Amino acid sequence: MKYHLLLFAISALSLAACNNGKQSAFTGDVVSTAAPVGTIPEESIYNLTDTFTTQDNKTIQLKDFSGKPTVMVMIFTHCDYACPRLTADVKELEGRLGKNADKVNFVLTSFDAERDFPDQLAKYKKDMKLDDNFTLLHGSDDAVRTLSVLLNVQYQKNQDGNFSHSNVITVLDPSGNLIYQKEGIQANHDETLKKLNELLKG
Amino acid sequence: MKHFLILIFTLLTALSAVAQSVSTEKKMVRIPAGIYTPFFKLPGTEPTPMPAFLMDETAVTNAEFLEFVKANPQWRRSKVSKLLADTNYLKYWKSDLEIGEKNKELYNSPVVYVSWFAAKAYAQWKGKRLPTVAEWEYAGTAPLVNSREGTLTSYILNWYSKPNPKVLPNIKSTYKNTFGLFDMHGLIWEWTFDFNSFIKSGDSRANTTDELQLFCASSTLYVNNKSDYASFLRFSYRGSLKGNFCIANLGFRCVKDLK
Amino acid sequence: MKTPFSKKLSSFISLGAIALLVGLQPGCKQGTDPSAPFDISKIDTVLTGTVDAELTEAPNVPKPLTYTSPKRVKVTLKVIEKVMNISDSTQYTFWTFGGHVPGNFIRVRQGDLVDFTLINSEDSKVSHNIDLHAVTGPGGGAEASNTSPGQSTNFQFRALHPGVFVYHCATAPVPLHIANGMYGLILVEPQSGMPKVDKEYYVMQGDFYTKGKYGAAGLQDFDEDKALAENPDYVLFNGKVRALVGQGALTAKTGETVRLYVGNGGPNMVSSFHVIGEIFDKVYTEAGSSINTGVQTTLIPAGGATIVDMKAEVPGTYLLVDHSIFRAFNKGAIGQLKITGDENPSVFKKLK
Repeated sequence: MKYHLLLFAISALSLAACNNGKQSAFTGDVVSTAAPVGTIPEESIYNLTDTFTTQDNKTIQLKDFSGKPTVMVMIFTHCDYACPRLTADVKELEGRLGKNADKVNFVLTSFDAERDFPDQLAKYKKDMKLDDNFTLLHGSDDAVRTLSVLLNVQYQKNQDGNFSHSNVITVLDPSGNLIYQKEGIQANHDETLKKLNELLKG
Repeated sequence: MKHFLILIFTLLTALSAVAQSVSTEKKMVRIPAGIYTPFFKLPGTEPTPMPAFLMDETAVTNAEFLEFVKANPQWRRSKVSKLLADTNYLKYWKSDLEIGEKNKELYNSPVVYVSWFAAKAYAQWKGKRLPTVAEWEYAGTAPLVNSREGTLTSYILNWYSKPNPKVLPNIKSTYKNTFGLFDMHGLIWEWTFDFNSFIKSGDSRANTTDELQLFCASSTLYVNNKSDYASFLRFSYRGSLKGNFCIANLGFRCVKDLK
Repeated sequence: MKTPFSKKLSSFISLGAIALLVGLQPGCKQGTDPSAPFDISKIDTVLTGTVDAELTEAPNVPKPLTYTSPKRVKVTLKVIEKVMNISDSTQYTFWTFGGHVPGNFIRVRQGDLVDFTLINSEDSKVSHNIDLHAVTGPGGGAEASNTSPGQSTNFQFRALHPGVFVYHCATAPVPLHIANGMYGLILVEPQSGMPKVDKEYYVMQGDFYTKGKYGAAGLQDFDEDKALAENPDYVLFNGKVRALVGQGALTAKTGETVRLYVGNGGPNMVSSFHVIGEIFDKVYTEAGSSINTGVQTTLIPAGGATIVDMKAEVPGTYLLVDHSIFRAFNKGAIGQLKITGDENPSVFKKLK
């Protein structure tokens, strides 16, 4: 834990040093501010206190992901077009991180509170051949909606039980600050990778 | 004896009247079940049955919100998290726990400059919730009780064609609809639980999107009535929002499921 | 969509850098060979500093740019909804870019990187965005700029094509936002600059739809039925009846060259733009790079623009009109260009 704090402190410092640009809508750069060590910064998504359940039936809060950079996406497992592709994008990103992949959390939260219970999430994880550093989350309608608002993900439930949704890959720093977002499927993730590597170097 | 009973009855009635005036419980209106036709139609979102529910008769007022802030210190202006409310949060109040003498006429006006997170927290505190877009739109389409005031669309268009008033009028100062709801249009915009379900940008000239890449399960969006400009304005407005935004003409009301 | 843009951008930058390294002077042959395909690699894109764009209110145009290499240009436009006079006796709630109709004139140079901030006033009723026809990117910026009241958005774009371009609000319902006056012009000067003239003016036509007829007194609401039927009550230059008449007339002296940047916001009408008593020496047709000469009347599409150059030869008052002439006579599409100076009897003389 001490190591994590140190890592966090250094990364927070490096962030403060290098992020002085303005937000640009085209590149999706989002600037965040650093916070004191050991507390959750005010604008961190880890302030969310809702609980989620993992594919292994463990109850967690988002702050349990603190200490490592985290890649977050929102999907649902019955999706037959966008979500498998978005998941593949995240896997590819993981591959490009090489041996650093273990130092990053990959978190997939489901829109589908009615069908994506832990068993189903475990099956999806297996089917999609996702590594151990991937966590899939089930949450209440309220918790999922709140997360979507924080991550600027739009979604709507359709009558057939499926979802219309935007596809966004979000990078969080080790303390849960939103660092970078990229929208689209099979998008160019050079910048996403760069941001992750910067966080890892920190 | 008879007189005595009458006296007791009168006393009781008086007492209950006092109790009622002290009580801050807001009147909720039963919105009857029916069919909801979404303005933006996706394949799979055809007209759907809408169960009955309860909805606040009016928007939440400053005085009501003050009670919430008193009971929940984390929602005071000086304490609120930047993640959950931007720097405009309740900016017109005199202080954390005072709406202010200067704002006396606002006590009974809708609270504005509140974020989605704050509105949601208020609803939870009251044992209620925020309405979904579907519920809000369904409730909002009911016509005016007094049709001499014009059609609903003309009422709304008339509202937006005037700049914001200097002082926000009190609740119940506009119109009542046939469900018994006040000011659904014409006073403020209102938060909805799933305001971010609007799957498109504000740029909607074609009213279509063939971007399968961005939008799962939808190839074509089309609208119910292309000349319903009032609805377009509402959906565009929702599409421009983020959860922590606090805006001059944006407040909320709550709903509750029927047991 | 964002990817190709940023990819393109970085390739422009590297191309620009290479061009600079090998000492190529990316020359601009604007207007000389309009049939040649547009070649992005000829644009110099290496930034050499930051400037704030000068913004002007119609009929004024910002001064010609003096810099000769690309800059980061900061532009901030504020959306303001306000009641203004549409005629001396009639008020209308305009939605504006900058507090007037048309919106502020923006002037940048080809190759500039425009850092664009859109602010929506705190007391606005509705959300707004901006689509600049000069932008190569999703929605012309509209996707990146849907802005709530009291908020702002920010995006950047590279000015690639020279010309004068319409910008407008593209928030749903788009026709309403445009009908309420949300449009203006942005000029992208070619790398070699615009040919010098003595006077430059900014004129923009638009059509308006009100519940009351033309000139009906008081605050008039928008009339959706008339707008759908494309039957305007007002067709105006610069957002008000007589905006360019009398005190507001454009002026020039004999011997001076005059350039008009003329846009058409629409939402519905196409303009048959004409100056009574003048012939345009040059028309940058549809504000593109092909130049026509000796033109009497030029068409300006809704959502389009033109640039016309003429020389003031004979003193007098010249009328700017939409030559769909009922609009000029009955709906307000009329303005004045007052030319003063010495008579020029060899060109024009009244004999009796």
